[in-house]
Amino acid sequence: MSSPTGGDPRPEIHRTAQGDWVVVGRRCRACAEPVAYAWPRCPACAAAVEAAHFGPRGTVWSSTVVRIAVPGHTPPYSLAYVDLDDGPRVLAHVAGDEPAPIGRPAWLVGTSDAGDLQVEVDR
Amino acid sequence: MSASVAVAGVGTSHFGRQPERDLVALAWDAVREAFDDAGVEAVDAVWVGTVFAPAGVAQRVLRAMGITGVPIITVENACASGTTAFVEAHEAVRTGRYGRVLALGLEQMSTAFSGAITPETTDPEGRAGLAMPAMYAMSAARYLHSGAATAEQLAAVSVKNHAHAVHNPRAQYSGRYTVVEVLASRMIADPLTLLQCCPTSDGAAAAVLTAATGGAGEVVVRSAALRSGAPWNHRSPHVWGHDVVADTARDALTAAGLDAATDVDVVEVHDAFTIGEIVTTEALGLVPPGDGGKAAAGGVTALGGAHPVNPSGGLLSRGHPLGATGLAQLAEISWQLRGRCGARQVDGARLGLVETMGGGVSVLDGNSCVVTVLEAR
Ligand SMILES: [Zn+2]
Repeated sequence: MSSPTGGDPRPEIHRTAQGDWVVVGRRCRACAEPVAYAWPRCPACAAAVEAAHFGPRGTVWSSTVVRIAVPGHTPPYSLAYVDLDDGPRVLAHVAGDEPAPIGRPAWLVGTSDAGDLQVEVDR
Repeated sequence: MSASVAVAGVGTSHFGRQPERDLVALAWDAVREAFDDAGVEAVDAVWVGTVFAPAGVAQRVLRAMGITGVPIITVENACASGTTAFVEAHEAVRTGRYGRVLALGLEQMSTAFSGAITPETTDPEGRAGLAMPAMYAMSAARYLHSGAATAEQLAAVSVKNHAHAVHNPRAQYSGRYTVVEVLASRMIADPLTLLQCCPTSDGAAAAVLTAATGGAGEVVVRSAALRSGAPWNHRSPHVWGHDVVADTARDALTAAGLDAATDVDVVEVHDAFTIGEIVTTEALGLVPPGDGGKAAAGGVTALGGAHPVNPSGGLLSRGHPLGATGLAQLAEISWQLRGRCGARQVDGARLGLVETMGGGVSVLDGNSCVVTVLEAR
């Protein structure tokens, strides 16, 4: 059993002056790879990266509903991989206990009570 | 200097929930059998694969059976830890670094977790609650959405592997299930139901590797390839894990001098969840892209089919003690190539392949994957 150590590894999000939620990540200066995390180098090519914002809009790549007990989360809970427009694939929570429809638009709406990235999905 | 390497002997414990048996007892079952099988009483070095066992476990376990003083190296590569130990042991013998090496995998899951593996909270997606079943469920949902498989085809993998395990006395679970029963079992992570998920297992498995002697019937290693995953993200054309398996398989098949995985007679793959076997059979090239589900439902990958997959029952039925799994797969293929598998024997099997992959590190297409090809001389 592991307990949280160090900083929170989940993507950092930020609310813009326009009121949109965006992921504060990195973009590779060499290959333009978008990354949802503040990592020191590009995971695809190891080149230098620079700060970049991604979102709020994207598309549901896949989804599931977790129905087993997981520490820190209360089942059932709905998860989706969302490909942010011109941005990285991020794992996000979706309100409710139905699988998010794949291929539908989604957008970041902040974080859940547990501190997880949260999206709303256009069903 | 490189020598042809033989799998001189293999052994395993029983697989299942056995919290009353400690890792020494489980490992001794595997090592004693492998030593007896190989006709040896000592080795020059040991590689041990385990994921959740405590620090120092390898030396603690091995000293209880008098294996001391020799180099003992512990490796962790998620579900491929056991096969990673095998790859390293193989390379040590091939290059002449050691003459006789033991590869040992061990894991006691029942005492480490009360249910499914707890996601790693220092990983972003683990912290967000992406348990392993959910990670595979994402692939399964994507397959269903794109029409690459049906729910019934997913279930058919479980039906097949549970039926195979009926003939494996070491398996944790076995039985004659129907597709309807598999689909009706409790939902774990949509669309994966309980009978589509590997159980919590304790066990150990071992192999003794030596330079090949050239004797008739000897099982030799044609190739052993290991990779870690590249980034897996919005750019990836396939579901999680497909590409690392495909890349590692290409390495292993090329090194073995084979044109395709369809040249082998029997295969053990990483079916931690039903979708895993479907994706893997496609990634290996054992079946055409998009045919993994059809192959399972149509008997192509069943015993008696054109490309039998997981005659042991696989992880779904034999069980999945993480670090031990890769060597349990190797033991099965060794027995298959020596014609020792009784009612689950693939007739005339001469070439076999093992694939293990695993890991839930976010953004990566698997922590690691091993593909190895064995041949009976
Ligand atoms: Zn880059």
